[in-house]
Amino acid sequence: MNDKLNLHAALAAATCALLGTPVAAPAADDASQRWSFDTSLLYYGESDDRVQDISAALSAQRDFDDDRKLSLNLTADTLTGASASGAISLDRAQTFTSPSGKATYSTPAGKVPLDDTFLDTRIALSGSWTQPLARLYTVSGGLGFSNEYDYTHLGANASLARDFNKRNTTLSFGVAYSQDDIKPVGGAPIPLSQMLDVGDLRNKRGDDSKDVLDLLLGFTQVLGRNTIVRVNYSYSDSSGYLNDPYKLLSVVDPVTGDTVTRVAAGGQGPDGVYRYENRPDSRTKQGIYAEMKHAFGARVWQLSYRFMTDDWGIDSNTLETRLRWPLGAANFIEPQLRYYTQSAADFYRSSLIAGQPLPEYASADFRLGEFDAVTLGIKFGHRTATGNEWSTRLEYYQQSGDVPGNQIVGRQAAREQYPDLSALIVQFGYRFGL
Amino acid sequence: MKILLAAAALLVVTGCSSLGVQPWERDVLARPEMSLDANALDAAIDDHIYFSKEASSGGRGFGGGGCGCN
Repeated sequence: MNDKLNLHAALAAATCALLGTPVAAPAADDASQRWSFDTSLLYYGESDDRVQDISAALSAQRDFDDDRKLSLNLTADTLTGASASGAISLDRAQTFTSPSGKATYSTPAGKVPLDDTFLDTRIALSGSWTQPLARLYTVSGGLGFSNEYDYTHLGANASLARDFNKRNTTLSFGVAYSQDDIKPVGGAPIPLSQMLDVGDLRNKRGDDSKDVLDLLLGFTQVLGRNTIVRVNYSYSDSSGYLNDPYKLLSVVDPVTGDTVTRVAAGGQGPDGVYRYENRPDSRTKQGIYAEMKHAFGARVWQLSYRFMTDDWGIDSNTLETRLRWPLGAANFIEPQLRYYTQSAADFYRSSLIAGQPLPEYASADFRLGEFDAVTLGIKFGHRTATGNEWSTRLEYYQQSGDVPGNQIVGRQAAREQYPDLSALIVQFGYRFGL
Repeated sequence: MKILLAAAALLVVTGCSSLGVQPWERDVLARPEMSLDANALDAAIDDHIYFSKEASSGGRGFGGGGCGCN
């Protein structure tokens, strides 16, 4: 290594001597040959005792000679709380068999059913290496792994970038592939099968998997001394098990709209008819993402827009803006605003009608429905005398959606069918070098 | 398709050759906060949250994911 460094230094000195420019001796504590760390502690909490998440993240970067760079990331998440199961609310209490098939849980009258058996710990690791390939070319490769008690992800990615026009223009192409294994608690339910009594696992199968291929074409352009833009085209193809194994649909009476009742054997099972969801086993998404950064003196304005469309019928538009505003030499404040809107998947339906033939695909997952979301946030940062930076970010996220009028049956109109979701996000960050 | 992409790339590169700055005019663009990846960790955290709550994901980089949350 030392020989290599010496060789580099000798070559640099020779080159500079030829060009008649003075050469600086490489300093041992060269800032480009250090580790830099970005750390974060995050709290994410939804209202009404829904999902709560505490997450710690560490990102480390080591710069080497010749613009080579190693990046490592570690994230640990702890999730607790309840999430909407997809079943509709009723004027009576409801009882469900838990995903494990070993117990039941209940929802009070008038409440949207939440599955409170939700508990998870996730560890994610990823690393990447970036280096120049030739003059004007940069190549990068990475690996990722994450693990939860019911989910394992393995992924790899590679990208190549080429600079043009005095490095004012960059074109890049990236490809990523991942293979995920899903091990649902109690087994993956047979799609659209009915929820059974406690201990009856005839409708449960084993584990399953999915593959995702992502392609990314990127274009970055310096527009002027204060402005840079980026436009990406993304393509993503998922295939395999794309269901959420824990999501349900209520089977309702065509007149009253209430869930059809059933009698559980020995009282140990659901007191209504519920079916597990079924989504197509492939999904193709395409998106355009455009982003601009512009400096107004010391202030930096960031604006981005994303359009995405997929063959499940979901189109989404996202607009996001941030303004970094320095307060003196050491501090800054950054207000953030994001607006998101999506249309529903073709197979989204809030319930299934008893007596009608089962559709090929159906899901009542609110995330596949039509909704808007707004995020309001503010970040405060402080640079210490030693050049490190700590920051605090506070965000409020609010989702509001509607079940299409033609899907509401009978008495459902009088009850809340699409509960709004709000979440508070608090993040502490510390960035330092070694 | 390949020809179309190559043509588009050529058009973009030649069309943008009049844009940009000289190397000595990069003082503002060189500020850390002007980097398009200035807050990579914040972006990764946001992507992870939105991935688990919304139907669309990715776009800025690869599609996020690697999570049983959606």
